Amino acid sequence: MPGHRSVREILLAAAPIATAIFVFGISFGVLAVAARLPAWSVVLLSGLVFAGSAQFAALGVIAAGGSVLTAIFAGALLNLRFVATGIAVAPSLPGGRLLRAILAQLSIDESYALSARAGAPGRPDGRTLLISGACFYAVWVVGTMLGALLGPVLGDPKRLGLDAAFPAGFIALLWPMLSGRHAVRCVIGGVLAALALAPFTPPGVPLAGAAVIGLWLAR
Amino acid sequence: MAGPLALGLVLGLASLSFLMRATGSMLPNLPAAITTRTSGLAPALLAALVAIQLTGSNGVLHLDVKVPAVIAAALLAALRAPFIVCVIAGAIVAGLLRAVFHL
Repeated sequence: MPGHRSVREILLAAAPIATAIFVFGISFGVLAVAARLPAWSVVLLSGLVFAGSAQFAALGVIAAGGSVLTAIFAGALLNLRFVATGIAVAPSLPGGRLLRAILAQLSIDESYALSARAGAPGRPDGRTLLISGACFYAVWVVGTMLGALLGPVLGDPKRLGLDAAFPAGFIALLWPMLSGRHAVRCVIGGVLAALALAPFTPPGVPLAGAAVIGLWLAR
Repeated sequence: MAGPLALGLVLGLASLSFLMRATGSMLPNLPAAITTRTSGLAPALLAALVAIQLTGSNGVLHLDVKVPAVIAAALLAALRAPFIVCVIAGAIVAGLLRAVFHL
């Protein structure tokens, strides 16, 4: 068993990431109210979904004029990786199935990464996951709230270039995944599928096509 | 966006996200073949999202200030800049180009 890390140690390790998540939360709040989502729904989204990239993807679809269903589809597909992190953290979580399913809601990329680093190989540290996850949850929701309040003060979103924030954010999320030939192949396939389908199909179909191509090319 | 529609978005995405995190914690180990396949989803989807953001309402590539914004963000991401720096830089590039060239 790796040594028992104190709450203070875990929080110290989480602090720099928490700052980044806080600022990300603010920007998400600003962008979401700029995309004309009601402020209450923006905060509720962060409180109930707690997944930056999925929320960002869903919002990008809405901001570009896509439908709610397409937005949910895009966000949910990005969250599919949480099935894998859920499997990885399950043995490290306390309690029965129900409690574990609820505690697993605190897993995001960052809390999972910290717990994997703190634990033994193949067995992430459950305490680190829960404590850092709760900390990240708090700053994510408070940050979103601040952003939703701040957004209307900032002015015309297009003049500020906020519409370009979405593709810029997607490429920034994508970049760290580009290790290995498989990922590059999936990227090229995804782009080609989306661009080929976009002129002829309703929004959503190009994303679904890209998802299928991604599954197919990842071998 | 109207209230009921926004609520639909929130509840739809929230319930699916909850289910995914919950099922993972209840499942036994998945065969590696499945996890390898699903690892291709996120890159393909994010790349498609970038591409779709760069198309106009007719679905055809539409080159405007978003292109230099994406290039700036990609360069910063390649230099391992934090996510938020890439996003803000992209917005600034687009905003500045619009202000200077009245695009």
